[in-house]
Amino acid sequence: MAIRHDRKVSILDVMGPVMVGPSSSHTAGTARLGRVAREILDEDPVDVHFFLHPPLAATYRGHGSDFALVGGSIGLNVDDPRIPEAIRIAEQMDVNITFSEEDLGEVHPNSVRIETRGANREVQIVGSSIGGGVIEVFNINGFQTRFKGDSPVLLLFYRDRPGMIAEVAKTIADEGINIASLYCSRKQRGKDAFMEVDVDSPLSTAGLQRICALEDVADARYLDKIP
Amino acid sequence: MIESFKHLEELARDRDLADVFLEADEQEHAVPADMILEALRKRRAVMRDCVERGKAGDGPSMGKLVGQEARLLAAAFNSGKTFLDPLTVKAELYALAVMGENARMGVIVAAPTAGAGGVVPGMLLALEEERHIEPETTVRALVVAGGIGSIIALSANISGAAGGCQNEVGVASSMGAAGVAYMMGGTTRNCVHAAALALKNTLGLVCDPVGGLVEVPCVKRNALFAVHGLTAAQLALAGVESVIPMDEIVEAMVRIGRSLPRGLRETAEGGLATTETGTAIAMRLKEEANQRRAERAAERERLAQERKAGAT
Repeated sequence: MAIRHDRKVSILDVMGPVMVGPSSSHTAGTARLGRVAREILDEDPVDVHFFLHPPLAATYRGHGSDFALVGGSIGLNVDDPRIPEAIRIAEQMDVNITFSEEDLGEVHPNSVRIETRGANREVQIVGSSIGGGVIEVFNINGFQTRFKGDSPVLLLFYRDRPGMIAEVAKTIADEGINIASLYCSRKQRGKDAFMEVDVDSPLSTAGLQRICALEDVADARYLDKIP
Repeated sequence: MIESFKHLEELARDRDLADVFLEADEQEHAVPADMILEALRKRRAVMRDCVERGKAGDGPSMGKLVGQEARLLAAAFNSGKTFLDPLTVKAELYALAVMGENARMGVIVAAPTAGAGGVVPGMLLALEEERHIEPETTVRALVVAGGIGSIIALSANISGAAGGCQNEVGVASSMGAAGVAYMMGGTTRNCVHAAALALKNTLGLVCDPVGGLVEVPCVKRNALFAVHGLTAAQLALAGVESVIPMDEIVEAMVRIGRSLPRGLRETAEGGLATTETGTAIAMRLKEEANQRRAERAAERERLAQERKAGAT
């Protein structure tokens, strides 16, 4: 049997989450995808555009995926009873929301590309809600990734150069934190690159600042486990 | 990591199955057993609370197709008009209650999904009540059920979109059957065979929700498959075993899921969704959605005008 080791899910992921109905993949999973975008953005969004993969575009409304995506993208948790009101809340926050359809290629049916913009940052993610509230984000700001939001993670945008990974790893080690996995991708040798570092314990703000201060780091974001 | 059900049986031997799963999860995900148990105590309480709300709840669902089922069955049960034994009726009732809440966008526990979220609480909470089982045993049964699901999830996507309803309600009844076998004092082998018998007999179940909503047939299906899971546990506890091993059943489920046409994988483009009645309901829902969208656009326009007026 084909075992996908990247599919390891915990007991609490299977027997959960506690969430607002009616669909774990269309409501909880999509809310978590929106939440990932919000956490990377790290500020209130001004503009959020959801590009729904056709199968999701066909089914999203009846499952409240529109409420959920918007709810997550303004920072609501999957079990927040205000999710059914999320669109109204976003409007009150003056967030401009757009939904459109886009073929995202050979991906899980419930996939979405999210573009979100705040006063200081712009973030784009592409991800799937693969069932039971579990998500897979496979693109962040144009970089390939394999992010699930199930552990604390450091996301680093930097200029590709020798020694960068070693410096980041050392800074994290100095914090006394163990790296669970590390994934890098780049647009071109010596140009824009991206690193995803899954860690076993939380990274302090000071630790994040030390990483931000490393030469050639354009931006670094630390995300806790996505609730 | 527990890689397969075969591996699980080798690993567990005579040990308590919940302990085996807790230990594996602690190693793999660095979450201490105490924290998992504490989280599941809270989730059991959410399930219990959801059942209470759902039994009395009579508000319409989002698509207005369901919502009265639990109330009707509760009324029949309370006035002595049901003919099945209380355990079976309660399993149906609690599953309906949870699914009614789910369809009203209430707070529920996905187990393993929201659309199949009535099955496990239906089975486990009914059994706990009828057999006077300690709530803590139910919490440990949730560990077992979750553990079974996590092994299935290693090779299967737990969603109707990936493989039809077998991947949701099928998996839920399989998880619940193992949980029930555990609560009734079954061995690990009993639990795995309970899971196997339940899952095997849901293979091929398609996901064809009317209008794409988690309402028809999902709500009532949860009730029926809660009972299905109980009967699977009963057989396994009596020593009846699945000829096909659980690992191979999961493999078959994945293969069947892949060969299901797209129209029967949650797209609402086949099966019950495209019956005469299903189509008519979908049309109505679409019209209502368009109307709501128009109302929202008008509201936005009004707010914008107000802001403009306020600015000048």
